[in-house]
Amino acid sequence: MTNAPMIELRDTTKKYDDGPPALAGVTLSVAAGECVAILGHSGSGKSTLLNLIAGLDKPSSGTVTVDGTRVDQLGEADSARYRRASIGMVFQFFNLLDDLTVLDNVMVPAQLAGMGKREAQRRAVDLLGSLDIDRHAKTYPQRLSGGQRQRVAVARALMNDPALLLADEPTGALDSSSAEDVRELLLELNSDGQTILLVTHDVQLAASTAGRTIELVDGSVARDVVNPAGGATVNSSAGAVR
Amino acid sequence: MSALGKVVRSGVGRRRVQSVVMALTTFAAVTSAVLSLGLLAVVQAPFEHAFRARDGAHLAVQFDGAKVTAAQATATVHAAGVTEASGPYPVAAALDTTVGTDCPDEALAGHDNGPLTVTTRPDLGSTSGMDQLALTRGRWPTNPGEIALPWQHYAADCFGASVVFSSLPGSPSFKVVGFANSVTNSATAFATADGFARLTAAGAKSDVQMLYRFATAGTAADIATDKQAVAAAAPAGAVEGGQSYLTAEQQATGNAKAYVPFLTAFGILGLFMSVLIISIVVSGAVASGIRRIGILKSLGFTPAQVARAYTAQAMIPATLGVVLGTVSGNLLAVPILGEATKQLGAASAAGATIPWWVSAVVSLGTLLIVGVTAVIPALRAGRMPTVRALVVGRAPKAGGGRAAQRLASRLPLPRAVSMGLAQSFARPARAVTVGAAVLFGVVSVTFAVGLESGFTKYLDTSTSGFNVASEIVIPTADVGVPWGLHGPNDPRTPHLDATEVAAALAGIPGTKTAFGWGDSGATMVGAPPGGEAPRVFTVTGDFSWTHMELLSGRWYSAPGEAVVGDKLASAVGIHVGDDVTVVQQNKHLSLKVAGINFDTNQGDYTVMTDAATFTAAGLTPHIDQFNVQLASNVSGSDWSTSAAAALTPLNASVESNSGWGKNIVMITMGALVATLTLMMIAVAALGVLSMVVQDTRERVHDLGILKALGMTPKQTVAMVLTSVTLTGLIAGLIGVPLGVAVEKATLSPMGDAIGRHLPPSVSHVYTPGLLIPLLAGGIVIALLGALLPAGWAARSRTATALRTE
Repeated sequence: MTNAPMIELRDTTKKYDDGPPALAGVTLSVAAGECVAILGHSGSGKSTLLNLIAGLDKPSSGTVTVDGTRVDQLGEADSARYRRASIGMVFQFFNLLDDLTVLDNVMVPAQLAGMGKREAQRRAVDLLGSLDIDRHAKTYPQRLSGGQRQRVAVARALMNDPALLLADEPTGALDSSSAEDVRELLLELNSDGQTILLVTHDVQLAASTAGRTIELVDGSVARDVVNPAGGATVNSSAGAVR
Repeated sequence: MSALGKVVRSGVGRRRVQSVVMALTTFAAVTSAVLSLGLLAVVQAPFEHAFRARDGAHLAVQFDGAKVTAAQATATVHAAGVTEASGPYPVAAALDTTVGTDCPDEALAGHDNGPLTVTTRPDLGSTSGMDQLALTRGRWPTNPGEIALPWQHYAADCFGASVVFSSLPGSPSFKVVGFANSVTNSATAFATADGFARLTAAGAKSDVQMLYRFATAGTAADIATDKQAVAAAAPAGAVEGGQSYLTAEQQATGNAKAYVPFLTAFGILGLFMSVLIISIVVSGAVASGIRRIGILKSLGFTPAQVARAYTAQAMIPATLGVVLGTVSGNLLAVPILGEATKQLGAASAAGATIPWWVSAVVSLGTLLIVGVTAVIPALRAGRMPTVRALVVGRAPKAGGGRAAQRLASRLPLPRAVSMGLAQSFARPARAVTVGAAVLFGVVSVTFAVGLESGFTKYLDTSTSGFNVASEIVIPTADVGVPWGLHGPNDPRTPHLDATEVAAALAGIPGTKTAFGWGDSGATMVGAPPGGEAPRVFTVTGDFSWTHMELLSGRWYSAPGEAVVGDKLASAVGIHVGDDVTVVQQNKHLSLKVAGINFDTNQGDYTVMTDAATFTAAGLTPHIDQFNVQLASNVSGSDWSTSAAAALTPLNASVESNSGWGKNIVMITMGALVATLTLMMIAVAALGVLSMVVQDTRERVHDLGILKALGMTPKQTVAMVLTSVTLTGLIAGLIGVPLGVAVEKATLSPMGDAIGRHLPPSVSHVYTPGLLIPLLAGGIVIALLGALLPAGWAARSRTATALRTE
């Protein structure tokens, strides 16, 4: 585990049209190996923050650096390559491709990155096995439960061995049992050293999963606290809060 | 604006691309349809009307007056198939004439006037019976010194002056008192019985003409059979010639009718395309607007109003296309009809326009067809239950395509490509629709490329034969004078001394070979009296290097042999081995037909024979030009300089072969075909674009997922393009043979329209080198159409796409 910042935002602002900024001068950093929860109500700016870190959107000002890459300076193609190489994403509604089998869904990121089919298949099968859903490899996502689908999504997110796992409300569409299942999965991944940024409005989930919680209110960091009961806490002081 | 109006306007506004596509398709269809139907109406209808009204003859047969009596000619009315007959009438065929010196226009006075076929009837102005003659100017002749002619056979500026039968002893002269014609050109000059007697008294050979109508006379083959039946009923060898109404029809409709087959093909293709595109767009609007339909109905729109709203969204751009297409069709018709009207014998081409009813029928017919096409999916929208529409919200997600995805994922292809490939099968109906749009595009391209190649080859034939030369040698007196100014029989027309010029050319360094030729001024007995005058060319020397095309038989090689042009052979029914009679200055010469050649250079009706054949028979060959082929590496200007010294004493001069004028009809046709094809390709590509846009919109969420997983813009473009490639390939494979079939079904009728049977060198255009790129045409059209939406897909914002459900 290293103390080098995995995510670093400096005075980052994102404005849409003439309205108030979705993010207003946010400065924060997340160290490698941390599991950090971004907490906030609807419209607080947490999805915008996630999009900026994932390279899906560009800041209006300020910088976004992930794993040494200035994400805010990347073009479209380089953003895509950056996501392939460094980012794994887990969504609230899973975002699996319905016309692909579970195995094919998991293989897609590796295949887009140019990995050979045989190697991609081997790695996907390993991942599905480690997440205990390998028996569903030939199944189509619509036949799986919510929890199972989210496990498939996690497997897909880990396919390219990303430095950072972004989880956007990963339990938001799940029943309590499945939600707990996913929470434990995230904890397990973090304990294995996976850096995780968890975006949620669920205080309980943030507190029980993440080692640190950053609360956003109206696009600004309102609170940055360490969760004693949460996941790995590398260095809470690394989160320079403005 | 009413609520319904606002809904329609916003619908058209939101589907700008689709609206443009609908307008363009109907524009192309209506332009072609107005032009083709208009040309048929203007060109074909007047002849048919006149033929019916004047009880035109299917066949006018000329019997040799020396071999048949009037009674024997009359007896042929009992020949098989004859339903009505008229005659016998005296006829004197192919008499050379000049314009009288009393013509007030000095430039025309004494000018060669071409051959005339003179007849007389008991009542020239009769308005009953077969082949009623029509007087268009002046009056009928009433005394032996008067005559009436078709306006095409005498200069209008000389009307009232005389026409002189220059090759008859004494050169009898007649005052032209009327312009008149037979609808089938059974004769081209009409005199009183006494007037006709003046010609025979001067030495004109008097033959006998009978006019017939038959039970079956729809085709050239029918007429040939009928003519054989008449010949069989007459004494052997008595039939000298027969003028078919089909030849007269072809002469009357001229080149304009040649436009009709391909314009009809484009009109039909365009109409199919319109129906397809409109059904694509309206179905797409309904499929992607289910939630909107639900909202409209929840707001109180009745099912009929919803159906009207969706129909109107197609009808507004379609109506625009119809209006513009009608205007465009009418405008394009002006130059084409200008020529056609002249062929029909109108005094002026200024009033040549398409009848209003053509525009009305095409416009209303197209609107009806596109209206019905749009109403079907629009009614589906109207009948959709409101609750279901609101709940479903958008078109049901494709359930199919999983097997295709599974199979495609096994292919050794980049994942973006294999995913795109499988998408073709996700919505089979949509893929079939895309395929149909591409198919129409490929059919149009294949058809158009074939036509253009055919046109090019046809044009190439006009730069062969007598037009091939490094340098040409002409009489010095002809230098700077328009070709054929005075006519071949005019004493002012200079000729070359063939023997001396040939000898001089052979002695000039750098001459490889040369041949001489000229219009002998002779005509052929039995040649069609209407249209262009037949030409009998006398030739000396070897012209094999000009690659003039021979369709059947062989080139003449012995004295007394000739080669006949294909158009004359078709019009008269001449075959290899037949005998034809040519007449020069009232001297007759029988020639054996050794071959039929394809020659588009020197007029419609041609005969070629060796100059020595004429000389041996006591006729005078004319050599008006030598075509010289220079040895390689010989400079034309150097050769001309040295040739001038040898040729000047022989009253001959060298001119560079600057080529010949372009065939404006072919150029116009080529431009029309190119325009319509480009329009059809654009419409096909826009049809693909419309479908891919719809598909991309529906798949925007999946695209967002893939981009979030790291799909680059290039991979996105590749995926979208691949999604139409297979469809394009299949459409190409089906479309090319269909396009070839359409071309085959079109080019021959076009040739028939101008009276020619196109040889394989012109009609066999599809070489492997042409077909292979055409097979890829489907992919090209599909990719062209998918390129824009692929770019949009690549540029779409991932974050936004991910939020789209």
